[in-house]
This record gives sequence, C-alpha cells and structure tokens, in this order.
Amino acid sequence: MRNTALAGVGIVAAAALALTGCAAGDQSSDEAEGPVTITYSNFISNGGNEENLQAIVDAFEEEHPDITVEVTTLPYADYGTALQTDLAAGTVSDVFDIEYANFAQYQANGALAELSPEDSGAYRASVLEAYQADGAQYALPSSFSTVVLFYNSDLFEAAGVETPTGDWTWAEELAAAEELTDEGAGIWGDHQPVSFYEYYKVLAQNGGEFLNADGTAVAFNTPEGVEAAEWLVEKSGTVMPSIEDGQGTPDFDTNLFLDGKLAMLHTGIWMFGAFADVPFGWDIAVEPGNAQQASALFSNAVGVSAGSEHQEAAARFAEFLTSSDVMVQTRLDAGWELPAISDEAALDSYLTLGDPANRQAVFDSLEQVALPPVVAQGQQEMQDIMTEELVEAQAGRKTVQEALDSAEERINAAIGG
Amino acid sequence: MTALIGEATGEVLRDGAGRPVRSQPPRGRTQRSRRVRYALTVAAFLLPSAVPLAMFTLGPMIGAAWISLTEWNLISPATWVGLDNYATLLTDPETGEVFLHTLYYIAGYLPMVYIGGLAIALALNTALRGRTLLRGIYFLPVVTSWIVVALVWRWLLNPANGVVNTVLAFFGIDGPGWWTDPAWAMPSIILASAWKDLGFVMVILLAGLQAIDPELLDAARVDGAGWWRRLFSVILPLLSPATFFVIVISLINGFQVFDQVYAMTGGGPGGATQVVVQQIYDLTFRYGQAGEASALSWMLFAVILAVTLIQIRGQRRWVNYG
Amino acid sequence: MAETTLTAPAPARGTRRRSAAARAALSRSVLLHVVMVIGALAMFFPFYWTVVTSLTPGTGLSSTPSLIPADPGFDAYRQLFSDLPFARIVGNSLLLATITTLAQLFTSATAAYAFSRLPFRGRTVVFGIYLATMMIPLQVLVVPLFAELRAWGLVDTYLGALLPTLAAAFGVFLLRQAMNQVPVELDEAAAIDGAGHFRIFWTVILPNIRPALATLAVFAFMGSWNNFLWPLVVLRSPELQTLPVALAGLQGQYTTQWDVVMAGSVVSILPMLAIYLFAQKYVIQGVANTGLK
Repeated sequence: MRNTALAGVGIVAAAALALTGCAAGDQSSDEAEGPVTITYSNFISNGGNEENLQAIVDAFEEEHPDITVEVTTLPYADYGTALQTDLAAGTVSDVFDIEYANFAQYQANGALAELSPEDSGAYRASVLEAYQADGAQYALPSSFSTVVLFYNSDLFEAAGVETPTGDWTWAEELAAAEELTDEGAGIWGDHQPVSFYEYYKVLAQNGGEFLNADGTAVAFNTPEGVEAAEWLVEKSGTVMPSIEDGQGTPDFDTNLFLDGKLAMLHTGIWMFGAFADVPFGWDIAVEPGNAQQASALFSNAVGVSAGSEHQEAAARFAEFLTSSDVMVQTRLDAGWELPAISDEAALDSYLTLGDPANRQAVFDSLEQVALPPVVAQGQQEMQDIMTEELVEAQAGRKTVQEALDSAEERINAAIGG
Repeated sequence: MTALIGEATGEVLRDGAGRPVRSQPPRGRTQRSRRVRYALTVAAFLLPSAVPLAMFTLGPMIGAAWISLTEWNLISPATWVGLDNYATLLTDPETGEVFLHTLYYIAGYLPMVYIGGLAIALALNTALRGRTLLRGIYFLPVVTSWIVVALVWRWLLNPANGVVNTVLAFFGIDGPGWWTDPAWAMPSIILASAWKDLGFVMVILLAGLQAIDPELLDAARVDGAGWWRRLFSVILPLLSPATFFVIVISLINGFQVFDQVYAMTGGGPGGATQVVVQQIYDLTFRYGQAGEASALSWMLFAVILAVTLIQIRGQRRWVNYG
Repeated sequence: MAETTLTAPAPARGTRRRSAAARAALSRSVLLHVVMVIGALAMFFPFYWTVVTSLTPGTGLSSTPSLIPADPGFDAYRQLFSDLPFARIVGNSLLLATITTLAQLFTSATAAYAFSRLPFRGRTVVFGIYLATMMIPLQVLVVPLFAELRAWGLVDTYLGALLPTLAAAFGVFLLRQAMNQVPVELDEAAAIDGAGHFRIFWTVILPNIRPALATLAVFAFMGSWNNFLWPLVVLRSPELQTLPVALAGLQGQYTTQWDVVMAGSVVSILPMLAIYLFAQKYVIQGVANTGLK
C-alpha cells in the first residue's frame, strides 16, 4: 500500500539491520553521576496495561539501582494537549511517548534529543528507520499494533451466522451485522468508531487516498471517499449504537463488548489483555475490505527530551523500554501491543499464547496496511477536523457530502496555511 | 456595580453622606517636602495592587497584541506575520461557528437564569416560612466550582444510566443522549450552568425587590392593578438597575464560558459546543498556534468591550435609577 | 445602599373576617410554599445524588445507584486517596486559596484607601483603569502570561500560579465602596490626635469595614479554590495540581467509575460548603451589594 518506511513491518524477513555508526563508548561514565530520578510520561499503558508497564520499569530499576523512574500515565485523549503544553512550558518528562504521526513535527521543533542505541540490531530495521531524520535516530519504536475485527462467537452461534473470515468484504460484514442486531435483547451487530483513524483506513479499503501526492491538500472528496464515509457513519443507529445511545463516549464500545452485547467490534490488538477473562467465546479476523484489504497499523515510540538534564539515564531507560527481553516477554505475555523487535523467534511464540485463537490474523493484517496520513504542520488539527465532520454526518446534522466538503475546505486551510 | 459603570463614565466621587470628597491635596508650610511625602504615601497605598495589575494584567494584554501579529507555537521562535492571523480568522468559517456557539449558550442561559431567578426572588420576597433556609439552598450551587458542576451534571445527564434518563424512562420517555449528542450537548451545558448561577441572579434581584418602596405597590393595588400588571408596570421598571446588572455580568461571563464546556464536552461532540475560549485553548495548547489564539483573544475582548459599551449607552433608555 | 437586609417587610395582617378572598390568598400561599419547597429539593438533589453515588461502590457503566444506598461504603474515597496524591492536591488548593485571600485583602484594602481617602491628580483615570481590568478576560492573557512566567522560570511553581491572582480590581471596588460609607469625621478626629494615613487606615478605616473585608475574603477564597484555566496550564506536575484540575483529569482516568469521580467532587465541595454555612450572611450580602450599587 503506502510507500512509507513502516509499510514493510509485517514482511517476515526484515532485512538490512542498519547498524547506526555511533555506538558510543562514553556511556559508562554515566555511573559516576550518582542516583538520578528520571520521569516518563506515557499513554500506551493507559486503560489496562499500567501494571505491565510497571513490571518493565521495576526490572529496569533493578538493573540500574542508581536510576529511579517516575511514571505518569495519561489517557490517550488528553495526552497530545498535555505533551504540547509541557513542551511549551519546558516541563516535559525526560522520556515520553510519541506516535508515528506526530514524530516529524516534534523532531522539527527540536523537542527530541538524538539517540544512539547500543544495539540497533534488536529493532526491526524498517520501524527504526521511521524514527530517523537526516540520518540520526530521534526516537525508539516501542511497539506496533494493528486494528482487527473482534467478534463474539457465542452471539454468532446463537444467531446461526457464519463467523467472519479473512476474506470478508463490507457487504458480508453488514449482512451479518443486520442479522445479529437484536434490539429487543439490546444486542448490537457491529461497532466501528466514527473518527479520523477509522476513516483514512476505510478510505484505503475503498481504494482512495487521504492526501494528494505531495501532502499539501486532501484527496478524499471523491466518490470512493464518500462511499467510505457512508460505510463509516451509516451503521450508527441501525446495526450499531447511535450517539443517543452513548456511542462515542470513552470505553463505550469495549464495555459493550465485555458485557456480551456486541457481536463485532473494530479495535486494536492492545485489547487482548482486557478481553482475556470474558465469559464467552471470541476471536479475531482481518478487517473486511471493499476494493481491497487495508488494516490500520499504529506504531508508538519513545523519545528523550532535548532539554532533559539526565540524557544518559533517559536514553538507557528508553532503550530498555523498547528492546529489553523483559519488555518483550511482558508484552507478549500480556497480549499488549507487539514489540518492534527483530527477533522473529520471540514473535512466533506470540501465536500460541492463548486467546484469541486466530492470532495469525495479526500477522496477516500486516500484509496490507494503511498508515496514517502525515502532514508537515497541522497534524492534530487535521485529525480533529476529520473526526468532527464525520460525527456531524453521523448525527445527521450534515449529509456525508456536506461533511466531506467542509472537511476538505477546513483541512486544506489548516495544513496549507 | 452599576456604580462601577457610572463612575467609569465620569461621576463625581462622593463619601458616605453623599458629599463630594475633598479633591484638594493638603497644602502647608514646607509645601515641597510635604508634597513629596504625600506622593510617597499615595504610592505606598497604590503600588501593592498597581504593580501586580500592571505586570500580570495590563502588560500581558499588550503582550497578547504583539503575539497576535506573529506565528508562534510556543516552542520555536516566533515569526512576524503582521495581520495574517486576523485575516485567517476572519475568512475561516470556524470563527463564525465558535462565536455562534457562544451566542447559543448565552441565548439559552440568560433567559433561564433571569426568569428563574426572578420567579424565585418574587416568591422569596413574600411572607414565606423558612425563607432564609430556602434562599440558602437556592444559593448553594453558586459556591460550587464549575468543574464540579460539570462533572455532576455529566453524571446526572449520562445517557445510559444517569438519573435524569432513568426517571424519564420510568415515565416511558426515551431520554436524549444529552452531552454525547451534538444536538443536545449545548442544552446540557446550559442546564448545568443555569443550575449553578440561578441563586446568584436570584440574590441580586431579591435585593432589588426589597429596595422597592411598598407604598408604590400598594398604590397600584388600590388603583386596581392585578398581579401581572403590577409586575410589568411597577416591579420590573423599578427592578431595571438590577436587571441591567444581571445582563451586563451575564454577557461578560457568557462570552468567556469555558470551564464547564471543557469538563463536560471538551467542545464536542463533533465540535457542537466549541465555544470561543475553548477554541483559544485548543489553538494554543493543542495545535500550537499561539499567534492565532492571541488574535482570537483580542477579537473576543473587542466583542465584550463593544457589547458592554453598547449596553451602558443604551441603559438610559430603559434603566430607571429612581 | 450597602446594608441591604434581605428580610421582607412583614405583611399586614389585619382582617379578621375570613372572606373568600382571604381563603383564596391562603391557598395561594400554601401552593407557593409547596412549589418553593419542591424547587429547593430539585436544586439540592444534584448534591444529594453526588454523595449517594460516591458511597455506592462500583457504580459503573450500566448501574444506577439507588436513592438510598443499600450497602454504602467508602471504597471510592479510599481509591481516590491511594491512586492519586489527593491529600497533597487538597493541600495545594488550600495553600493557594489562603495566600490569594490574604494577598487580595492587603492589595485591595490599600488601593481602596487611596481611592477613597487620598485625592491625587488623575485619580479618576487610574480608578477607571483598575475597573477596566475587570473586563479583561483571563483567557486573553493566558498565552502572554504563560510566556512571561516561563521566561522567569516560574511555570510549574506555586509562585507562578499565585502571581496573577495577587491583586483584583473587584476587591478594590468592593472595599472602596465600603470605605466611602465610613464618615470622614472619623478620619479627621484621628488626624487631630496626630494620626497619619497609615494609622488612620489601620485603626479607623479597617475596623469599620469588617463586613466588606469578610465578603472579599470569602469571594477571594472561593475564586481561588474554584479557579481552573490558569492552574490547568501553569501547574504541570501531578503533585502541584489543584482540585479542579485534578478533578477534570479524573474523568479521563475513571471514565466510567462514577463513584470515584463523585467522591472527588464531594471532597472539593465540602470546604466551600463549610465556609458558606459559616459566612452565608457575608456571601449573600456581598452578591446583593455588588448588584445594588
């Protein structure tokens, strides 16, 4: 699909382990610094993985008795604003999470310190390269994950509907959702968030592009784009809960699924842990496409603040957090997002680690991925405007065409001006 | 505070007995040193407030004007762009939208608190048993913070298991999605805000009612005026200074609405409650566009100033200072 | 003017004969009482519901607490104080509110004295400028204030949170009004005894405006306790946060744990409630006076 460095992530033979030249020998002098406390602010552990993160931090502190790590965890929705404010205030943590989509902007602002990991070979080369600028490393990939179709197999069985497979298309998903929806019993067939993150992906599934070739203007206001937006917003109120039902509030969809009242759910593989103990059968499949398949691939990374007073210690922690064996084991055991490591054998064990049974779908989903569109400026605004306009259409306050027209105009102004 | 407005327009200062305060500085033999001493005394009394106000209100006010002429993300150095930010804002349809959302808020909030506050004040101004207790309860939400008000109402108006929809369901009514629904989000914010401020408006109007000479009402009654007639012909005209105050303050506060929006909806869903100040906050701290945010701040200030001045000019037409 | 008593004149009760009109008046009065009591209950209900929810452990996605909790518990409060540095947060709010109150009493009283008792050239203009600052929304100032305090290294410090709240024109206005009520003869008598302005201010004026000082104290405390936008942007560290900011963060963290969010709200309401009950007279008269003149 898209030509970005990340697209190759899923390809099993991750070749070319480009060892960056600067394997610095001066790092041992750090020990003389005495006990230091560094801060780490994150969103990746929010909503169920806090203890898993703490386990990794504990292991790091044990290995480095002179370094203490203070962790701050924020909900994803608040994280961007908090980070932007902290960068402005000069109070940003020594180590902090960044998303691939925002990397370029923070790097350009000079917020990120240059890093030279001791063992670059531990990372998937393609993912590592995504966080480089002008040949230097500015962040270390902590994880990658995809969005797949989760389903409650008990509900499918009860309704006598065939469970999803990797070759489903939108039409089959919709047909199944219609059969599974049972308003009297409060059972909904499907749930897919109405947001930017879903839209660029369904657009790709429909063969469309979000941005034009040079990234200066949007390219979604086409028949494919309209059809993709309709697919996204028109499930609401028929096979999917509507806004009046509370759809769109945080955790609404996952709670509905946990309650056994939702047959299908589009969400990320980071939910495996949260769904581990549900009293019903469930599994996953690669998301249905339309013109083609395309799964959302997210990559998170950690950066070290350019203004950090403890850059050595912070860099050590960043590397431990992203490539240590403890991290790999913790992530795999917990069914958290996948570690962005080059060790294929370790990842193979992921396939047999319990529910869901069809973990192969995670790797299958990597074969055709859609990456978030990235612009040089106005990234956050672009994302917010897209979500806002889609919700307007979902609520019936605008037609899909009106919403896309408005989104096109506003986003072009935000990213061009 | 009506006096506040009067004095800003140049009334003579008077002491408690209504006499003009002496306006001559003291004179004496060694005039010069006494004058210096007097000036130092004035300075000693004024500086503790003048310095902070200059440094943290007036200074930043001018700073904002400068920032509004730059493009600045608060992180990298600012670049001068002249009036570009104002041009961008004036051509961006979103600017109109955020002002419209703010006006929507005011249009819903102001009649609710005024009519509600007046009704309660009228009732409390009669021979009611437990009047003090009732007044205390109606006033209680005023001392609560906006954030708490927002959280409590988010819970009361929670679409799935909030108490309001639970009660509505009991009567067979399918309650709306309240703050989760673009069409109902602003009414939810208005409802919560009116609950908080009702007591404030009520107390001001009550004080105004109690200042009305009962003989005037008796005279109207003798003339055969019914309750509504007395309300519209006697009470409301005599209450106009208090009404004026409520409107001025509510408009100033209404244009600045933020805390409860931030905590209830964050401007959503789908931007349906994105008000001016929420936009300023997002522009600054979410999108890193401090220049555009400062330009919008100045536009907001200009609007507030204009609206307030228009009201002060227009007050002679309808405000009756007895 | 200033001393408005909020008790209505007693209605004239004279007629002994119970006419039809009197009976109608009586039933109207009963109806009014009923309506007002129902209204008061409705106004009070959100507080009640907040407390009930905070005492109903596990109020989550789909359950609605019952009107009287069957099995009340303090789990939510325990969670609040163990998950967050909540005691510290309450302490931060108390500290900032106390200092702000004392500072505003001082800066307002001194300025009010100058505007009430010390004539000088351009006083009207200066007073006008003071009043004009009341019309400047804080939002206009957030960006430049933030930049200013950052340049001084005061972002994320108590001092940074405090500095912009030290002086407020509202307090100056309120206290000046009260000082104008104090007869000048008292000053003059003291002056004859040889008192200078500082002594007159301290021993004559201040003791005579105690109610206004109390009103200002309550308003300043309340303003600081409930202040949101500035602490939100200036206090970055979790351990420096104030209550409203921490509460706003709570709902992101405990999206569906309403018992915890409501417990936090109760903790935030209680101190203000105590002050209100204690100083109700000053609060209500303060509001009434600002409206009257």
